Amino acid sequence: MEVAGIRLSLSNLEKDLYPSYGFTKAHILEYYRRISQFILPHLKDRALTLKRYPEGVEKEFFFEKRCPSHRPSWVKTAEIPQNDGERMTVCLVNDLNTLVWVENLASLELHVPLARADSPEAPDSMVFDLDPGDQADILDCARVALMLRGLLSQLQLASYVKTSGQKGLHVYVPLDREETTFEDTKRFSKAVAEVLQHNYPDLVTAKMAKERRIKKVFINWSQNDSSKTMICVYSLRAREKPFVSFPLAWNELENLAGQGDPEKMQVTYSEAMSRTEKEGDPFREVLVTKQKLPYL
Amino acid sequence: MPGQGIWSGTISFSLVAIPVQLVKAVEPGRVSFRMLHNRDYSPLLRKMFCPEEEKMVPTDEIVRGYEIGPDKYIVVTDEELESVSPERSRTIEIIDFIDMKEVDSIYYDHPYYLVPSKGGEKAYSLLVEVMHRTNKAGLAKFVLGEREYFVAVKSTEGALSLVTLHYNEEILPDEDMVPKERDVEPEEKSRIEKTIKEMTAGFNPDKYADERRKKITKLLEKKLKEKAPVEAPEFEEEEGEGVVDLVAVLEESMRTMKKNR
Repeated sequence: MEVAGIRLSLSNLEKDLYPSYGFTKAHILEYYRRISQFILPHLKDRALTLKRYPEGVEKEFFFEKRCPSHRPSWVKTAEIPQNDGERMTVCLVNDLNTLVWVENLASLELHVPLARADSPEAPDSMVFDLDPGDQADILDCARVALMLRGLLSQLQLASYVKTSGQKGLHVYVPLDREETTFEDTKRFSKAVAEVLQHNYPDLVTAKMAKERRIKKVFINWSQNDSSKTMICVYSLRAREKPFVSFPLAWNELENLAGQGDPEKMQVTYSEAMSRTEKEGDPFREVLVTKQKLPYL
Repeated sequence: MPGQGIWSGTISFSLVAIPVQLVKAVEPGRVSFRMLHNRDYSPLLRKMFCPEEEKMVPTDEIVRGYEIGPDKYIVVTDEELESVSPERSRTIEIIDFIDMKEVDSIYYDHPYYLVPSKGGEKAYSLLVEVMHRTNKAGLAKFVLGEREYFVAVKSTEGALSLVTLHYNEEILPDEDMVPKERDVEPEEKSRIEKTIKEMTAGFNPDKYADERRKKITKLLEKKLKEKAPVEAPEFEEEEGEGVVDLVAVLEESMRTMKKNR
């Protein structure tokens, strides 16, 4: 296969990586090729964590933070300092070639940090990862997301939401100040989570413990950390069906929450392709909105 | 140890750089009151009201205007203000050493202390001592929050203190206040000089206290003994540490949000 003048040899194209749905590696490559113009700006200059499923979503997977040493010479990389003081070479998915190469490694899921590789301690978004506990679902997450949005807009902060592609939702607050640190975003998001827990104790918990999450939505504020990654918007998820982490407009979320059908909140790969081709990238705002955290 | 610093960084001049923290030096003695609703004692919020439409205006509809004449404004955005704000800085760079006596007290704005951060204790003590002995103060520019301040750093009772100074353009011209010179009778002059001499004493701030504050505090103590304090609805202690202001703001926003539902 040739992409933008570079030859890539692709392997195992017929391999069905979503066996109970019927979605082969060729399908996956085709999906990422068609979504590339929308996903690339969100991957750009961020240290990629590969989550590889060489034998498909029902078999074992492994994370790979280090950029494989067998990478082609044209793959852009960055050096990221680690906790032990050593530096690690990571892949930057800045172009279509790299995206196709990464997918040929069966990295179905693309995970990236909330900061760019050249300023790994300066987040450009604050995130609230809404995770439903047992006996709670994505509809409960939607209620919490809408409250979050209301609270944040009181503080004049615009926020954007996407599905996780699994059971939850991710609310992003774009930030543009270089001097914002993960300490700031963590402290801020924790305070927000605790205030929501305090006001809606039956629906919200800010505590990690599994037993505190039953029937509740856990607002995971601890994702605001330089060592954590989030699933990239438009990335496929490795579940039974090829669902995508996809942005939803707030009024759309409100409608879907009103309809009460959790399945309707999920966006499949085909819907993701047709919607972006029609509407462009609704999550672009996260990259361009300029705002800073107040009261810090 | 003093409370948490407002700012931390280094104070430097020439080849000297000492890590320090800026802490408050004064706690204004005003007794402050919260405004409550007399029916249920809920603490009240200030909201922006539009007299034209006769309704409350939400924060996202509020912009800043600089008044240039009756009903004429220049709108300035957050970004524009931001673009003229100074870069945050981590140093207090002393430019000149001066004699503090030359600075009239009219320039004094707000006092702080500088305390040494870890590792800076020795250099700090040395600077305190030398500045005390030479009786000199350092002049510096220093960015705190959104503003750049003009400050004097001096030695005060074994520590470094920092006082923000007014910029020259903030000082009102005093020409109108100075009376035109008149002939003074020499004997009158010497009489006043004599009186001042007689009344001269040491500066003893303990002698003076804010009488009204004392009385208000007494009144509050008395009222508390006589009658239990009133309680606002839904009043609860907030858990969490160190984020008091942010949490208070969030709780207040939460309340408005619930009301608007």
